[in-house]
Amino acid sequence: MTIAILKYIVPAVTIDPPFAFEQTYIMSQPAQQSQIEIIVTGFGGQGIILAGRILGMAASLGDKKESTLVQAYGPESRGGACNAQVIISGSAIHYPYVSTPDILIAMSQAGYDKFVVSLTEDSVLLIDEDLVRPERAPCDCFAIPATRMAENLGNKMMANIIMLGFCTAITGAVSNRAAESTIADSVPKGTAERNIEAFAKGFDYGLSTLKGRKKLAAGQVGALAL
Amino acid sequence: MASKTNDKILNILLFLCNWGAHAAFLTLQDQRRPIPHEIRMVRVPCAGRIDRAMLLKAFAQGADGVALVGCEPGTCRYGSGSANSLQNTDDVQRILDIMGLGRKRLCFGAFLPEESEELLHFLQNFTDEINALGPAGIEAAPLIPAFETDDLRRELQQLVTHYDIHACQDCGKCTSACPLALIGKPFSPRAIASAVITGGIHSPGVQENVWSCLTCGLCYDRCPSAVNFPAFIKELRHLYRRTALPGQEVHGGFFHSLMRSMSSKAITPKRWTSLPDEIRTDPESPILFFGGCAPYYDIFFSKHIRTQTNRILIDSLRLLNFFDVAPRLLSDERCCGHDLLWSGDRKNFLRLARINVERLNGLGIETVITTCPECYMTLHTTYADEGLEPKFKVVHLYDFLEEQLEKGAVDFEPFDQVITFQDSCRLGRLEGKVDLPRKLLKRLQPARFVEMKEAAGASICCGNCAWTGCDGYSKALQVKRLEQAHATGSDLLVTSCPKCQLHLTCAMEDPFRREQLEIELMDLTSIIAQTIRWKG
Repeated sequence: MTIAILKYIVPAVTIDPPFAFEQTYIMSQPAQQSQIEIIVTGFGGQGIILAGRILGMAASLGDKKESTLVQAYGPESRGGACNAQVIISGSAIHYPYVSTPDILIAMSQAGYDKFVVSLTEDSVLLIDEDLVRPERAPCDCFAIPATRMAENLGNKMMANIIMLGFCTAITGAVSNRAAESTIADSVPKGTAERNIEAFAKGFDYGLSTLKGRKKLAAGQVGALAL
Repeated sequence: MASKTNDKILNILLFLCNWGAHAAFLTLQDQRRPIPHEIRMVRVPCAGRIDRAMLLKAFAQGADGVALVGCEPGTCRYGSGSANSLQNTDDVQRILDIMGLGRKRLCFGAFLPEESEELLHFLQNFTDEINALGPAGIEAAPLIPAFETDDLRRELQQLVTHYDIHACQDCGKCTSACPLALIGKPFSPRAIASAVITGGIHSPGVQENVWSCLTCGLCYDRCPSAVNFPAFIKELRHLYRRTALPGQEVHGGFFHSLMRSMSSKAITPKRWTSLPDEIRTDPESPILFFGGCAPYYDIFFSKHIRTQTNRILIDSLRLLNFFDVAPRLLSDERCCGHDLLWSGDRKNFLRLARINVERLNGLGIETVITTCPECYMTLHTTYADEGLEPKFKVVHLYDFLEEQLEKGAVDFEPFDQVITFQDSCRLGRLEGKVDLPRKLLKRLQPARFVEMKEAAGASICCGNCAWTGCDGYSKALQVKRLEQAHATGSDLLVTSCPKCQLHLTCAMEDPFRREQLEIELMDLTSIIAQTIRWKG
């Protein structure tokens, strides 16, 4: 309905025809195809902003798409709930804020509670399963014990990178290669190798999760024929 | 009458019962009836006493067919002879099937004294059948020429140098750690070391000790001079074989005969014939699953104890399938040769190992996955040590599983049992993978996991290795281990080697203490296969 109305009203507005045409064109496509809107949320200090930054940079520098990042400033980045809003698009982005995310990455309960209301049925929710209880989620939820895995790797600061790997495998929002090379350039010097390893862990976990879902859907639960 | 195949008269061994059937055979001889030339008769007190080891040994020594002839059920002088013969024949026939010789090469017949013509008919039929089948193809184990004294001295000297036996400080740490010595057996590793240095290896005590050593490696672990005692014992056993001293093979040498037969190229085993339908395999895959001897064990031990070691192989395949690996299986898979090497028969071990390496290299196998610790050690380490050149990587199933589980999205169904773990000496101490099974155990969700008093690197043995030198002390050792398992309050003892399972099950058969000793046993692979689940 909205689209029909827009189409109808566009000629009435006095703007440049090509622009108007482009605008209509974008609006008439399903959001997922041309534009992916992502919110990463968690505690300040978890590397939420860095994760958002890596997503955006991987999309623009690696995958040659457009991307924007809006990051939460202020007291949040010192320990409160914090978030980064990323938009990745095949064409120019005109408005950088995300109101209904296609992907929500939640690494804290407070962050989750704040953004769960903006999710739709078609959104994808990614959570750290030890930190977030996904109540009232209207959409598909994928869980990973990212912080625990990072601790096992020897540094819980890498939970965000593990989460990025997981997100890349599940959603394909950015390409594997772009993400890896952006991580290598973005993390503190000397930690690139370990961060790439962390990314790979999260990525493998994501692939494994997808495989598990496929198996479960096909009725294969365990190793024995039941 | 003698039929010839390739101009060679075949060997058919006839074990003939002294009582009913022998009278019939005598009648045939008296009347000069045409008994086939291939038949070589061995008169025995009772056909029921020809055990499975002897039946198989006949083949290992070059027989092309074996006939076991006794008395009709009910006419046996000793009561149970006929039933035993039937059971033994059936077991060995099943083994012959898997070995690829085929059950037809062994048959049982029962005759009354007056049934001489029936016996003749039976023998002629059997001979025709064996002639039709042709030679079995097992080369008889070559006779080993006895050593000259000088040669022996030189060999001993080499052993002492190679294993640096002079480094032994006679401190006794080995004896104080040795599970056999601790259970009360007059056994001392350092005494063996001294005996070799002084050349006294032929004294009965030393000989006995060399054959009953568990080669579990605990003494090597404790030795401050790092004398590799298990490998040293292995070499000593070779030396004993070459000085024509008998070994102390248990179960009548059944398994040694089995493995020796496998070292003949002419044998083509027929493995993996009755896999469950849902198991997926791929005859083109570069990943091979190497099973090991479990199917033979299950047949052989079914007479006494309830064992299901073949289930470990099936569950391994299920787990590989679970992680989307459809492995190749070798229908002509032979034994890895572990027990031949560790019971002093290097010659046949090398023959067997060469066949295996050539076959796997020739097929272009890239990865061999196995779950048996002995197969793993032998394929992974021993083959290269013995100068063979395997071009494939050998991976233990646990390593594969740990790698897959590490990727995540899989979890385990909780089960309401307290578990404890029996380490395999080959996987743990000798291959240094003490932590690997524990990583997997920690992923499981039992009620509790409790270690036994002597666990991990200090774990004590299941009581026997390479089917040699089992005695009352071995049993006492196994009983001690089972008591340790009970002391943890566990109700499930997890094993990682089929032999641990066999030996500990055997110890539970103690008629006086069965109730105190009994505990459920299950292989780690099977527990994983049973409780693993995809997580959505």
